[in-house]
Amino acid sequence: MVICTPLFSAPAMAAPDARALLKESETRHRTKTQQYSGDLTVVNKEGKVRKKGWNSYRQGYAGDSKNLIRFTDPPEVKGVGFLSLPRPGSDNPDQWLYLPSMKRERRIAPQDRDASFVGTDFNYEDMEEFDHEKYKVSLQGEETLDGQPCWVITAIPLEKGSKSIYQKLTLYLRKDILYLVREDLIRKGEKEPAKRLVLSDIKNVEGHYVAARMEMTDLKKGSHTTVTLKQISFNRPQPASRFTLQNLTREGGD
Amino acid sequence: MRTALLLLLLLALPCSALAEGFSGYAEVKGFAYGERFAGEPYGAGWGTLYGKWEQRLAEGQFTASLRAEWLTSPQTSPLVFDPADRKLRRPPLSAPELWLRVPLAPSHDLEFGRFQLGWGKTDGYSPADAFLPRDLTDPFADEKLPLWAIRLSGQEENLRYQAVLVPVTTPWRLPPLGSRNAPIASGALPAGTTFQEQDDAPPLPGFAALRLLATHGDWDLGVWARSGVRPAPILAFSLDPAMQTGPVPVISVGRRYPREHGVGVEVSRVAGPYVLRGEAAALFSADRELGDALIGTLSVERGFGDGTLLVTLAGNAIDPPVDPTLLFDRGLLPALIVAWNRTEEWGAWKLVWDCGLERGDGLVKAEVGYNVTDTWKVTVGGDLPYGSDQGPLGALHGARRVVAAVHRSW
Repeated sequence: MVICTPLFSAPAMAAPDARALLKESETRHRTKTQQYSGDLTVVNKEGKVRKKGWNSYRQGYAGDSKNLIRFTDPPEVKGVGFLSLPRPGSDNPDQWLYLPSMKRERRIAPQDRDASFVGTDFNYEDMEEFDHEKYKVSLQGEETLDGQPCWVITAIPLEKGSKSIYQKLTLYLRKDILYLVREDLIRKGEKEPAKRLVLSDIKNVEGHYVAARMEMTDLKKGSHTTVTLKQISFNRPQPASRFTLQNLTREGGD
Repeated sequence: MRTALLLLLLLALPCSALAEGFSGYAEVKGFAYGERFAGEPYGAGWGTLYGKWEQRLAEGQFTASLRAEWLTSPQTSPLVFDPADRKLRRPPLSAPELWLRVPLAPSHDLEFGRFQLGWGKTDGYSPADAFLPRDLTDPFADEKLPLWAIRLSGQEENLRYQAVLVPVTTPWRLPPLGSRNAPIASGALPAGTTFQEQDDAPPLPGFAALRLLATHGDWDLGVWARSGVRPAPILAFSLDPAMQTGPVPVISVGRRYPREHGVGVEVSRVAGPYVLRGEAAALFSADRELGDALIGTLSVERGFGDGTLLVTLAGNAIDPPVDPTLLFDRGLLPALIVAWNRTEEWGAWKLVWDCGLERGDGLVKAEVGYNVTDTWKVTVGGDLPYGSDQGPLGALHGARRVVAAVHRSW
């Protein structure tokens, strides 16, 4: 899973402008590489729990990032790999899936953006890295969440007939570090948020802020998905051979 | 019975991974058939205990697995040492994987040992995959057999290669002839015919193969070539007067393993929400009962939510010279294969329709899996072969069945 939300941090500004805040934050939180191991827990409305574990490697940032995910648990998905490589001149990256049961990689088509990502409350659009340039953004005011003063910014997809499944996002940024701590997502044709993403357990790892816990709640279904990040590191050199199909098809490899 | 009790006990025990890198499962399956077949009972059972050990060795990798099985039907061999799966029947104890990978350079690997191969682009039927040995003990499971092999593989930029040397023939494993799982048309032989299968030793040499792959934009391209012993046997039936001791004919069945050479091309591309795949292969053999083949496949795949719909069309431009029901990989052609699977919050389901286009026979397969927990799964399903028994799937009408399975992994 790509951490798609290490958005912003900026010094205090006298008259902040939403776009400036977003730009400054993106600049501050940009890293060359990132790797972590993660646990993913899905709890449905009846309280039934499903867990998955994986290792994630990223090189690059935003639209030019390469990503490799390898599932480690439960046994049914152990060894399943997902590789995403940017394609110059295209919004859609090249994506491959390796299934150990088939012993070969399969190229996959861009998914329906509203489809659930591996059975979680995240959909494929939620997994994309937020690019504020594709939104009309405006500062709505200030609010305090968990004792932390936050900027509240609304983001509306720019294009008419946009591919986005959302008509509006409401972003809550911690003022002190300009890091996203909450996001409310309103679907097209609806007035109330359908989902809420809350980022917590924010740590400073190797000079970079990162939320070690992300929880996406489906406010209508009553289910939620929690992602916990462990052994996080940034800017470690990644071997060029990590983001290759040859590596994707290595069983027992990264 | 003692094995079955042990398996049930292991299924119920609160096991967890014994050490890092160790995983496995226990599974109990039950089959209920719609009809009796030549004295075979209405039901059958199958239990499996599987363990896999994976170990990183610096940049290398070692993997070993062991499988123990118990089948109520007489489809397993006695407990004999059969490391290359060359016997007629499934061994009750086997080592599906035993391999070591040594990196020669960052993107170039050497692997040797016992492992499975997967080639080809098209799912459902792939001419690049069809030459690999299969275990048809369960004719609807389509399980590949592992090989003893050496594989050199690597990548430079957008080019990849795989060179495989398989020194020993691992033959296809077929269901016992005369059983409900063997695709022999009713009426093809006199009623009550019994088969005397000869446990012929397959030829020792295996095959060599090379595959080159390239990715360019939306396109994935590949070419391959292979040469060696074809692991799917040609069956030779003979009526030996010395064996006719009663009123029922006794037919002796031998197996031949012709040599075959093949070249193929494969292509796939992403087109919006679709993935299109195609393959073509030319196969040559001097064996007049096998003959040549020109096999083409086309498939289209599309994701719908957490599911995938896959349609594959496969055909052979040259009719096989022998009874196609007995030429197991080519007898299915031409065929239309439709598969739809989907993951749900509670589990998963799949539907498969495999339709023979020439003889009008086919197979409808349905399966629903319920995840009781992350490690416990209950599956129910059914396999319904239908149509003319002159086709390889229709000839399996006696194997119509309902399947239920309990699976526990760790």
